[in-house]
Formats: sequence, C-alpha cells, structure tokens
Amino acid sequence: MPKIKKDKNGQTNSINQVRYGCALGAMHSVSAIPGAIPITHCGPGCVDKQYMSLSFYNGYQGGGYSGGAVPPSSNLQEKDVVFGGAKHLDQLIEASLKILEGDLFVVLNGCIPEIVGDDIGAVVARYQEKGVPIVSAETGGFKGNNFTGHEIVTEAIIEQYVDKYAQDKETKKKGLINVWSELPFQNTFWRGDLTELKRILEGAGWEVNILFGYGSKGVKEWLTIPNAEFNLVVGPWLGLKTAKLLERKYDQPYLHLPVLPIGAKQVAEFLRAIAEFAKENEVQTERFIKQEEKEYYYYLEYFTDFYAEYWWGLPAVYSVVSDAAYNLAINKFVVNQLGLIPGKQIITDHTPEKYHEAIRAEYQKLAEDVGAEVEFVEDGYIVNQLLKQEDYGHKPPVIFGTSWERDTVKELNGHIVEVSYPVSYDVVLNKTYIGYRGALTLLETIFTTAISQSA
Amino acid sequence: MPKKINLDIASVEQREQRLGTIIAWDGTTEELHKQSSYELRGQRERGAGCGGNCRLCELSGPFTQGSVCSEQMVECQAGNVRDAVLIQHAPIGCGGGQTVYNNIYRNGLVMRGYKAENLRIINTNLIESDMVFGAADKLRQSIDDAFERYQPQAIFVASSCATGIIGEDIESITDEKEAELGIPVVPLACEGFRSKHWSTGFDATQHGILRQIVRRNPTKKQEDLVNVINLWGSDVFSPMLAHLNLRVNYVVDLASVEELAQMSEAAATVGFCYTLSSYMAAALEQHFGVPEVKAPMPYGFAGTDAWLRELAKVTHREHLVEKFIAEEHARVKPKIEELKKKLKGVKGFVATGSAYAHGLIQVLRELDVEVDGSLTFHHDPVYDSGDQREDSLGHLNEHYGQVKNFHVSNRQQYQLYAFLQENKPDFLLIRHNGLAPLASRLGIPAAPLGDEHIAVGYDGIVNLGETILEILAHKKFHDDIKKHVKLPYKKWWLEQKDAYILAKHPELVKFDADEYRAEQERKEAAHA
Repeated sequence: MPKIKKDKNGQTNSINQVRYGCALGAMHSVSAIPGAIPITHCGPGCVDKQYMSLSFYNGYQGGGYSGGAVPPSSNLQEKDVVFGGAKHLDQLIEASLKILEGDLFVVLNGCIPEIVGDDIGAVVARYQEKGVPIVSAETGGFKGNNFTGHEIVTEAIIEQYVDKYAQDKETKKKGLINVWSELPFQNTFWRGDLTELKRILEGAGWEVNILFGYGSKGVKEWLTIPNAEFNLVVGPWLGLKTAKLLERKYDQPYLHLPVLPIGAKQVAEFLRAIAEFAKENEVQTERFIKQEEKEYYYYLEYFTDFYAEYWWGLPAVYSVVSDAAYNLAINKFVVNQLGLIPGKQIITDHTPEKYHEAIRAEYQKLAEDVGAEVEFVEDGYIVNQLLKQEDYGHKPPVIFGTSWERDTVKELNGHIVEVSYPVSYDVVLNKTYIGYRGALTLLETIFTTAISQSA
Repeated sequence: MPKKINLDIASVEQREQRLGTIIAWDGTTEELHKQSSYELRGQRERGAGCGGNCRLCELSGPFTQGSVCSEQMVECQAGNVRDAVLIQHAPIGCGGGQTVYNNIYRNGLVMRGYKAENLRIINTNLIESDMVFGAADKLRQSIDDAFERYQPQAIFVASSCATGIIGEDIESITDEKEAELGIPVVPLACEGFRSKHWSTGFDATQHGILRQIVRRNPTKKQEDLVNVINLWGSDVFSPMLAHLNLRVNYVVDLASVEELAQMSEAAATVGFCYTLSSYMAAALEQHFGVPEVKAPMPYGFAGTDAWLRELAKVTHREHLVEKFIAEEHARVKPKIEELKKKLKGVKGFVATGSAYAHGLIQVLRELDVEVDGSLTFHHDPVYDSGDQREDSLGHLNEHYGQVKNFHVSNRQQYQLYAFLQENKPDFLLIRHNGLAPLASRLGIPAAPLGDEHIAVGYDGIVNLGETILEILAHKKFHDDIKKHVKLPYKKWWLEQKDAYILAKHPELVKFDADEYRAEQERKEAAHA
C-alpha cells in the first residue's frame, strides 16, 4: 500500500520543475521596498538559491540595493545546530547595523533555526526596544512557499514596525488606497506592472500606496498604510490575508478584485468597480478611461490589419501555466480582446484550497459565452503531461508558461510566451503585460513569437 | 603508503577535516604557501612526517553575507548527469536550485553538441509535519516517481539541512530501493551546515559515484581513454588530447551513467582544477588503479607543458608530446605577442575558486597583465593525493611570482570593496555570482567565466586575452552606472582599509544605542 496519496492528476509529494520559492524567498519582498534590507538567519546556500532562482534566472531582475549578494546571512554551521544560533544572529544584527545603511531591517529565518528553536523574536526585540527599525519574520522554508512568506513578512512589518512608528493611525485620508497585488520578483514583470497599476489608479483620481518597487516611497510610505481609506486587493487571492488584518487592525474596508486588468475592457471594469465601491472619483475615472482608450485603440486599429489578414496562420488555442494572478488575467484578456480559445489552464502557485472554488467560478465566466476548466498543479512533470495530453485541434497552440515548458512546446511545435517564474529566456527591465500599455506589449510579444517561427 | 580515501562509509569526510580547508585568510601567496606547508601535510597523509597540529590560521568575524552550500554543488554535478535523476530530500526552498542548474544544464548540453532539455531533479517537498514525524515515505515515493517517469540508469538522493537535523535515515531507504529497482540508488550527504565550504559538495557527489557507480574489477581497459573531471565547459580537451592519440571521458556533468561507470577502465585521470578533481582523481588511483596525472594544472605555457608531459608519461606517449608542444608554442606565440601589446599596462584581479584562481593568474601573467591582488573563495593547503606536483599555489609562486595582496574570502561582497580600493584593477575574472555586481557599481567590468575551460591550454591564453579585451570595452557601461547608484554600505565601512578588521576587532561593531539614535537623527535631518 503506498502511503502517499496521489491526486486526480497523479501528483504525489514530488515537485519537479519548481514554480515558486520557499517562505525565506520572501526576503525579496523586503528588498522590493526601497530602503529596506533583509537580514537572514539560515544555512549558507539559502540566500543564494532564492536569489539566483527567483531573481536572476527569472528575467535577470538583479539584486538592486539590498538583494543579491548584499543581504547579511548567518550561514549556519554545525555548531549553531548543536548549540543554537541565537547568539550568532545577535552578532550578525549588530554588525549589520554598523555596516549597512537601511531604513528598515527585516530578520528572516530559514529551516535550521526553525527546527532547532532559535527565538529570533527575542533577539530582535532587544534591538526594537532600543529604537532600531527592525522586525522579525519566521519564514522557515518548510512552512510554505514564498507567497506564504510574503504574507508573513508583510504582517511582520505592519505589526512590528508600522504599528509602532506610524504617527497617526486614526485619520483616514480620502482617496488614499493601499494596493496589494503581485508578488515582487516571483512575478517577473512586477516592476513594470506595479508602475502601470499605479499609473492607471492615479489617472482615475486615486492616491496610491503601491508599497513595493520604484513607484513606492519606501518605508515612509508604509507608515501611511493606516491612513488609507481602503485596501485594494488585485488578484485571485494573494493579499486577502493582509487586507483582513488591516480591516481588523485599522478599521479599513477592502475591495477584492480577482482580475488583474489587462487591456481596455478589463481596465475599465476594474476602475469603475473601484469608483463604485468607494463612491468616489466617478467623473475622473470616466475621463481617464476615455482618454486612455483613445490612445489604446489608436494602436489597436493599426494592429487590426495584421490580425485580420495575416496569411500564414496565427495560433487559436492557448493554455496558461502560471500563478493564479497572471493566469486569470491573461485568460480574461486573450478571450475577450483576441477571441482565442482556451485549452488547459493550470495554476501552479499552491493557491490555498479555500480559494479554489471562487477561482474556478471566475474561469466559468471568462466571457459571457466562454468558460474554461482550471487545474491546480505544482509538480512540473504533471503540468507538462497535462499539456501534452491536451487536444489543440489542427494548429499548434500558444502556451503562456515558464521556461520549464520549452521542451513540451517544441514537441507540440507550438509557441511559448514566458510569463511566469521561471522566465529564464527573457531579459526584463520595466516591461509590463498589464493595464493599457502592458496589453499592447503582450500583443507584440504573442504575435512576434508566433510569426517568428513561421519561416 | 598514502592515507587512503575511505569509501566504506556512505558520507564523505568533510574537506576541512581531510585537507584543512579554510575560508578566510589575508596575506601574500608566499606566506599562504609557507603556512600551508603542502609538503609536510602531504607527508602526514603518508603517515610519517610532522604535519602535527599546524592548522592554518583562519579569520572569523561577526559579519557574513550569503554564501553557497554543498547541496548546490551536488545539484550542479549529480543533477547534470544525462540519464540519472537527482532527488532533493528537502523542503521546497532547496528546489530553487532546479531553476539555476537547469539553465546551466541546458546551456552546457548545447555547448557540447547535445539537444537542450530540462534537467531531472525532484524535490520531496518536506513540510512542517515532516520535521516532527520524518518523511521516509515521501522519499520512497519520490524515488518511485523518478523511476517511473524517467527510467533512469541511476538515482541520486541528496540530503538537506532539514533532513540532517531531524536525522532521516536516507541510507537504509536508498539500500532498500536499490535492491528493489536494480539500479544504483546513491545517497549523497551534503547538508549545508556540515561543512564550512561548499566544495565539500563536489566531494559528496564524487564519493557516491565512486562507491556505487564506477565499475569495480572492470573486464577491460581502455588504454586511450582519459577521464577529464570537469563541469559543463566546452570541449577543448578532445582536440588537445587527440594529438596524443587519446580520447576524453568527461565527468561528472553531462556524462551518462555508463560514462561514469567506465572511469575505472581509463588510462589516466586529469582535471582543469584541483579543487574539483582532487577527491575523485585520488580515489580512482587508490581504489581502482587509474593513475592520476600529478602535475601543475594546464594553464599558461609552463603549466600546460608540464601537464602534457606528465599526461604523456602516464599514458606512454612520450614520443608524441614534444613535437606537439613545440608546434603549439610556435602557433600561439605570435597571437600572444599581439595580445600583450594590446594589454600593456592593464591590471587584473581574479575572484574564483581556489586552484582555478591559481591557474588563471598564471595565464594573466603570460599575457603580461599585472596581478597585484586576487581572492579565492577558500583555500585547501593540500590536495587529496598529497603529491607535491599538484601544489598549484607553489607552482604559481615558483614560475610566475607571488601575488602580494591575496585574500581568502568566501563570496563576501562587503570585503571586495576594500580589496578593489587597494588594488584598483581594470577588470575582474569571476566565477560564481555576487561579486561582479559590486565591481560594476565601482566602474570595474568583470569577465564571468561560465565556460570553465576558456583559459585551459595554449589556446586558453589567447581566449582569455581576447575575453579581457571584450570586457574592457564594456567599461563604458560600468563607468556610467557608477555615477548613478548608491551602495548599501555605510561610509564607515567604505573607509575601512582592512577588509578583515572585524575579525581582528569585533568590538568595533558593538551596538551603541545613543550613537545609533544620533545617526538616525542626522539622517532624518539630511532628508528634511
């Protein structure tokens, strides 16, 4: 009798072709905040593995100010395992404060301290008491993936830093919103995407705490989280936990919009839903949509000739293999804007079970007349088996996936657009695939890929 | 009799225990060589002599940045065998390496003329409850998955920090599965915390291969076959060895399990870097009777000449070698003279693994590139054979002169700043990530030697010279970015001349709450 149960797709405990990092990988959520620096308490290879996979061989995103080879790490050794590593961490923090220039330090632990029971909270508390902007996050790698880690880190910063240092937690500023959306670095295009997200929200009249990336004012911006009128969660599930925390803590309502908007239709729906929820900015929202659509359709009109009469065949059926946020977003766009036909859709981010049903329901109504089935799979071997078994009709499909799908796509003679971690064959600076501008870029990418293979 | 490598136990003996490896040191290459006392240590391994307790001094301070672990080196070797599967008995975070080494594997395959394909590494995905109850069944399941999915010729099982601490009995499961499946199922002990230096991971992989894959008592010998212990580098050894009527058996990366098994049939074993090849080459000689070519590594004229002569001697091809050497010298020397003119006055800095760095510095000096400073990630005072002909640091000092600012620094970016201020090089040669990004922000370009064979042999001198010229041209980019970025290090640290000051004076970082507050206030005021 096998002791490990297989699910309906044949998935066991095995994970081949990883599609996310571990909880410690959320050190990237720290380095994504301008001015914040992660301090890691873990084995010698943990930081390098998370960085090289989630950031380097994923669009070659780089380490920036406080990622890459910069984060302090205790590089735990046998003696730390035997005697405990709390003192080692204490020394490391002390030295880090002397050597590194940061506005906020976030201490994250890996598997080793979590198993041997180092009390990192107690070590960090001693510095907190002395007025050092530092927080601790228990991100032992076996606790979950980097999506889980992101929520742990976010909550730690809110509870241990924002709550302590925010000067005014009562006042709510009309029109100010906190945005919780893509997972930095895991989503290869997060930088460009958050910039575009901020742009369209500001265009519609909102003041935006985007919190991560270039558009964030960094740690100072985090201190204004309690002042927001409400929290906006964009995506099928990530961020909901944080929004609920803030609802309890600062009495802030939240709006959950599962579809990360790509293209004119989705963006308009998105912006109108926000205006309607808050009963604010209705006029500005309409004005902005009108103005943006003018530009969007200017370009789309010129694209029409290609899409209407390109002789040599364009793909019709597609599959998306990605995290939940991009998966649903791309599905919505390619069905509604292009009229592509959904094949197998696979979500790979270990979406918590409790959100599955709501997400499946979203796929049932991709358009009024189009629905799709979605699978939740994490093992890349199974992912690729499912892709190979799918019937795509007489033409090869376009697969929106990861670098792991390259072999399968070659076998299917199809087209690959790498949209989800790991994206190892794209160099990404500020590229976005969302909003108005990102939608146009996505069209360019899809069809450049498709036709460059034709002759 | 030399002290034999012990293949009876499943776990490899750590490099620091076998060789006295260190990861932090500062001085000149001559001092390091003297303190390493290669000869004495070699003798101690022969059970005589007075190596005694002459441990190398090692600096250890309160600050470190993320390094590399042994398991990563297992992934980049055992995970890159063409018809095997590697299982990581580990939490999902260790699986991050799958992405990294897949890139290396795919590029490596193409570089060697194979079709690109994904590597086959499976993570057992340990979670919190497994830390309490153990995860033997998950390991069994993943071994079964590996076997069913890929029909591999061998399955490797890498341990992790987590399984090491909770005491998973991996060996009994691999034994059980090996009997059941009829292929080698090889446990590799590579917990990251067990060794201070990740090169132990090379040894762990090689140990497993030697124990369970290399053919014992082979029925035939292949007198023209030479094991080349390397990574995924381009095929520069075949053309070179063809002049001696020898064929190449590349191991471990990109080899098949059969190619690993036939190592015992070869006429000799060579490597491009003793850091990598020391363990397996010595064990092949001691346990399988395949002689290791004990010579300086094939870098620069002196190194390559000596290496070829020794290879010819071991394989009984002395009659072919002198002609080849003479022809090669004549062929590359004019090109090197041209390169020397272009590289006149240029200063380089090497930042790579240990023995490899010694080889690269030799090549730079052949090109008349100045090398005042360099760093290695670790230092082995002796290699496994204990034979003095492999003393790569001694060879460097003797034939090419010493390096006066020589540092052992295990991928510590914060120290590199002071090294570069001291040396002011025009370029860096690097392997492994993490250092070039800082150099770049200081306006210094780096040549990442992803193809580790680029500097090997006579052509290697030319290749490296040309690579340096290309990299120097990139300087425009680095000079520009330098003006537009702020480093994360405080002024206090950037002003330190001694990169090891914290090891000598740890009290310097003592936390002073008043001082910290005053500094914060100054920062606030400056912002306002």
